[in-house]
Amino acid sequence: MTVRRRLVGWLADAALILYFVFALFPVAWMVILSLKPANQLFSTYFSFSPTLDGYRTVLGDSEGIPFVRFFVNSLVVSVGAVLLSLLVGLPAAYASARWRFKGSENLMFTLLSFRFAPELTVIIPLFVLYQKLGLFDTYVGMVWVLQLVTLPLIVWIMRSYFADLTPELEQAALLDGYSRKQAFVKVALPLVKPGVAAVSLLAFIFAWNNFVFPLILTSSEAQTVTVGALSFLGGDRPKYNLTAAAALVSVVPPLLLALTIQRYLVRGLSFGAVKS
Amino acid sequence: MIRLRGVSKAFGAVRALDGLDLDVREGEFFCLLGPSGAGKTTTLKTVAGLELPDAGTVELDGRDQRGVEPYDRGVAMCFESYALYPHKSVYDNLAFPLRSPRHRLPAARARERIGEVAELLGIAGLLDRSVGQLSNGQRQRVALGRVLVRPARAFLLDEPLSHLDAKLRQQMRAELKAIGSVRRTTTLYVTHDSVEALALGDRIGVIRDGRIVQTGTREEIWYRPHDTEVARAFGRPRINLLPGTVTPGGGFRSADGAVELDLRLRAEAAPGTGVLVGVRPRDLTLGTGPGHPLTGTVYVTEVLGRSVEVTVRLGEQQVALVVPRGEAAGLRPDDPVRLSVRPENLLLFEADRPERPGRRIGP
Repeated sequence: MTVRRRLVGWLADAALILYFVFALFPVAWMVILSLKPANQLFSTYFSFSPTLDGYRTVLGDSEGIPFVRFFVNSLVVSVGAVLLSLLVGLPAAYASARWRFKGSENLMFTLLSFRFAPELTVIIPLFVLYQKLGLFDTYVGMVWVLQLVTLPLIVWIMRSYFADLTPELEQAALLDGYSRKQAFVKVALPLVKPGVAAVSLLAFIFAWNNFVFPLILTSSEAQTVTVGALSFLGGDRPKYNLTAAAALVSVVPPLLLALTIQRYLVRGLSFGAVKS
Repeated sequence: MIRLRGVSKAFGAVRALDGLDLDVREGEFFCLLGPSGAGKTTTLKTVAGLELPDAGTVELDGRDQRGVEPYDRGVAMCFESYALYPHKSVYDNLAFPLRSPRHRLPAARARERIGEVAELLGIAGLLDRSVGQLSNGQRQRVALGRVLVRPARAFLLDEPLSHLDAKLRQQMRAELKAIGSVRRTTTLYVTHDSVEALALGDRIGVIRDGRIVQTGTREEIWYRPHDTEVARAFGRPRINLLPGTVTPGGGFRSADGAVELDLRLRAEAAPGTGVLVGVRPRDLTLGTGPGHPLTGTVYVTEVLGRSVEVTVRLGEQQVALVVPRGEAAGLRPDDPVRLSVRPENLLLFEADRPERPGRRIGP
């Protein structure tokens, strides 16, 4: 019995290790790629003379590609999109969790449907609209279009957080002399803080990683890292080492954010699922 | 003053309130007693404006409250779930009403007031704690404190003592009515505990299935219960209800013939009518005394401190009586005993029917 159990344990461990190798190899490959000098790019796999030149080139804005600017663009656009979504989405989530009004379910479903419609289905008309409205290649335009990504996420997740709060807390606040708006801000909102942290991070990552919208709706002024990193592939010879370095640099902000609010994240993502 | 007229409220298919009428007089301590699901909490929330009635009117101090928001009604409520703000300390919970635009006090005055209330409720040592660190009994007192901390047109208290342990509950019960602001303020107090209702209520309302069955002082409820269910709700051990019929002579005869009472029931019920005769355990006495005699055998005795509860078999029926310990000293199971009951201590009810408990028809 114990022998069999131990065997099963080993097999499980082996399978896990195999999976880790499979999952982490692309990342490792990117790291290796980013450290290769340009002349060894195509000639070697693992043995090369490592150099940080790739990173220097990328961050030094050489090669005529303003990567730092793309990076800043990404930050501005993603943070802006999340903030706007929170501003609009938190009251919306609260209202839809607390009150049934005519068409509320349809409204919520429509909002969710933005998430399962592929972005490509709307990108052409959006492109035309943006050209006409002067939103093409602007921060405002990008923050605006990213609402399709961040707003449904924030509204739907926060809705279940608010639904899990007992309404009696806000009722108590009403009887303590506060208006409904004050009850929302002073009682309901502080209680869903872990949820706000978790969902903001998720929304930020989704916004940061978005590719199609900046690809079509920006050219240089508001272009983001996801599209910008590809610029290194153009020209006569694709510079894979620079692309890899750029991609790795662009992973840093979401990673840092995730690590700093990890405590909230685990609690936040499980909070909505389990009734206390 | 609180007045509800014909208030109905349904939650989906569930009728919580069904044409409820209620009057709580100015400054009165009114206890609303009923089993869970009778509509007690809905009644409170309707008064507070947290639930809007489907029909009927709610008046506070003579003014119709239709369209008046909860925060403008000036009532304070203690929720059964406590509804304490979990992200705030005890002090901040108590201070929350005093920081609101409607009940604002300067910080120094607020601190003073909170100190008084906390002292009164024995939670002065807990002010720095977070709500999560409190026991249920402590939470309940904090919830009560949040109500008492500010002036109100009426206090609405939803089972505010139910989670305290027995000793503390008894102590708080005694203290609650002595609190100055409670004495001065109209209070609607909800409970399922008849002892609490009898001890606290200037008047008591019995609620069942979303309606008030009976309203009255504790004497009225005790001596003139509206029906058998109200009679059963008050008093432990419960009232004895003997089923039987009215004899052609207007007397009472139990179903098995073991109990015959020489009553004059012609006025209340026709001969042959099924009735229940009620008598409270403390109104039965051992031995031959004045009043109607009864004979039976001892079934079981149970000592309750200084008195003894004796269960006596009368034919197929059992009745409970409570007697001083000395009188029950020699009683053993199956001993024959004589009992007596004064006629003025008898209550007469219609027989219970499936659709409603039997109404009192006499005396």
